[in-house]
Amino acid sequence: MKMIRNRFGNLSRVSAQLQRHVQQMSTNAAAAPEEGAVINEFRTAVTNPGEHSALQVAKFYTIPAEQKKQIFAGGGLPKQYEQQIKTFTEACLMVRNPALELLQYIKATDLTKPVVRYVLYGENGTGKTLSMAHVLHYGALNDFLLVHVPWAPNWMKRPKEASNAAGQEGMIDLPFDAAAWLVHFKAQNSQLLQRLQLKTSKEYVWSKRESTPAGSSLIELVEHGIARIKYASETTAALIAELKQLSTAGQCKVMVAIDGFNAFFHPVTRIFSDNKQLVTPDRITLTQPFLDITNYDWTNGVCILSVDKIAMTEGHMDSHMPRYLLGQEGFEHLDPFVPVLVENYTDKEFHSYINYYLDRHWINKTPQGFEEQLKFMSNKNPYSLMQLVRAL
Amino acid sequence: MALRVFGLNIVRSNRNLLKNAHKLSAPPSGYMAVAPFASEVTVQAAPAAVQKQKVSKAMRAYLKRANEHDEFMKTQHLEFQIGKRHLANMMGANAETFTQEDIDEAISYLFPSGLYDKKARPALKSPDVVFPARKAAEFDETGRPFHSMFYTGKPNFFQLLHDIVEETNKLADLEERLLRRGNKPDENQKLEMAGFQLLPKDQLELFLVESIADIEYSNFTKSMERLIASPYAYKSKSFIERFLKPLMDQSKQLEVPKPKIDEEGRQYITTYECLRKTARADVTVRFPGTGKISINGKDILYFEDENCKEQLLFPLQFSELLGKVDVEANVEGGGPSGQAGAIRWGIAMSLRSFVDQEMIESMRLAGLLTRDYRRRERKKFGQEGARRKYTWKKR
Repeated sequence: MKMIRNRFGNLSRVSAQLQRHVQQMSTNAAAAPEEGAVINEFRTAVTNPGEHSALQVAKFYTIPAEQKKQIFAGGGLPKQYEQQIKTFTEACLMVRNPALELLQYIKATDLTKPVVRYVLYGENGTGKTLSMAHVLHYGALNDFLLVHVPWAPNWMKRPKEASNAAGQEGMIDLPFDAAAWLVHFKAQNSQLLQRLQLKTSKEYVWSKRESTPAGSSLIELVEHGIARIKYASETTAALIAELKQLSTAGQCKVMVAIDGFNAFFHPVTRIFSDNKQLVTPDRITLTQPFLDITNYDWTNGVCILSVDKIAMTEGHMDSHMPRYLLGQEGFEHLDPFVPVLVENYTDKEFHSYINYYLDRHWINKTPQGFEEQLKFMSNKNPYSLMQLVRAL
Repeated sequence: MALRVFGLNIVRSNRNLLKNAHKLSAPPSGYMAVAPFASEVTVQAAPAAVQKQKVSKAMRAYLKRANEHDEFMKTQHLEFQIGKRHLANMMGANAETFTQEDIDEAISYLFPSGLYDKKARPALKSPDVVFPARKAAEFDETGRPFHSMFYTGKPNFFQLLHDIVEETNKLADLEERLLRRGNKPDENQKLEMAGFQLLPKDQLELFLVESIADIEYSNFTKSMERLIASPYAYKSKSFIERFLKPLMDQSKQLEVPKPKIDEEGRQYITTYECLRKTARADVTVRFPGTGKISINGKDILYFEDENCKEQLLFPLQFSELLGKVDVEANVEGGGPSGQAGAIRWGIAMSLRSFVDQEMIESMRLAGLLTRDYRRRERKKFGQEGARRKYTWKKR
């Protein structure tokens, strides 16, 4: 039973030994039906997010290892979820309603129209990031160029290094963070970029001696930014402007996914300027391009943003609603957008998750009523359930 | 001779009176009714005729003491009456109908006291209550004791033991006789001991007007238990009941409120004043429900700590009503653990209305229905905290 399940559930795990087992099984039981008959009820064999529908709700699908590495190597899954993935040796995501809703919208979108902004919102720990990860997986498989910021508040709260921007007066550069983002962008999109052969539209002059000529490929642009960390921020701005142009011209599709988007509108950051004062996010050079790309003045793309309470700092965490988190300015910037509410688990999802934990032998002791008790203690909140059953 | 006869007669009648007085006091009529003791004794002791007789030294000393006591009590009574009158005047009430309750009220109003110990606060009480009753004379004027067990030093106590054994023997005889006839004790009339206990030592002492040792008290309990264990104990019910005391007033504890019906047709119970540390809460439990819980409008994640959530879980899980009731709580004051404790108590108290008597009892035994009175202990000077001392270093 388990071995046959592995055949479907563990496409990610390229384990020669298991493969051998599976082959043995299928030779022994040649009469067994090919598809889906013996898979656990909380799993689905459909690993392509594009094919997910209401049938797969509350079921787990596995992201193949190489795809996971491609999309999420530079972040995108919560740290504790990453640990869980490592422990369970499979990257499983549950198919949940908010992601399905988003996928349905995206599939039905007319890409020739200005981009639609989707805003994921919800209480802490309800799964906004993982819903976004699900959609990202879809985007990666469907030839979207991913412009993905795993956690925007990192730039405002704990930048690696802050320096004054060379070109613009009073602006702050985050060279290392910008370079790290470029690496992430490259990792996510290198295959697609190679295939599409996108070219820059104009010449970018970085200094007297360095420049990127018009007509050079985007990969060259990105690699320049990574190699010359000093110019990483400017390269990011250039790259994003190019992407907007290219996608409007119809040469590529772009999926923008920014987690913790409200950090761009937070009153202050934790970065000090020269005169020892805290800077506002709009004085960081990285902010502008990402605000630009979330505007609706371009086509052939989708924007998935999430607003999060924990992107804010103390005193600004009273509500999880987009209007409160984005503030007047941010709300007007995004207006009009499609809000997508991410809620706690339903009973079905909760049961499915418990089954998954049992299957992974993560929950060992099953005294009577343990599921009810966990349900009560966690209030069906995904994060608090994970915390409750975590290792000591 | 005549005089002697006359005297004897007087003595005899006097003796009867004295005996009556003793009997009046000796039958234990509850420790509240000991007041008449002293006055009656002195009244009996006063007749002038007795003084003419040859009176023993002990009797003379006793009479002297009794007279003094009588005088003392008289003045005390007088003072009490005057004090009461003053209080009534001050309160603008009628002195004739001024009761002890009115006195207490007037004093707490006129002489407010912040003293912690209630006994230390000002009070005005009848001297009969304030001064303990004294034993009446136990011997006649010639010095001859009335009671056969006078020289045991504790005649009332040993008389009691004697009576108990007598009752026990009587019952044993009865049992044997009826057994011979083939009769069996009546099961329906069996003595119900649940909810009762034997008089505790201090109350028994008041009852007997004698102080007894621990070992003597244990002798009392043992012989009483032997009596009660007899299958025909119900035959001497009236005797036994004199030494029983109802256990803690359980009726109030056991009185479970009836659930009310809300507009959706669900039963609900609201428990107000759920206290723990400095937190106070009111908790509403609705039945049937789906296990929803709301605390100040938030879900259970109002509490961040796992142990606080477990506190709320416990009564529901224990009564097997988890997922079958809805809980709404408003809580303020205190910290998380105090608030969680207050809500836990509120849930448990409310759940009594939705479970059977057996479950209530086991909930009580599990400590769910007990209020936790513990408070923060104060810091002591010269110490780092409530108990912890400063680090001591030799030099």
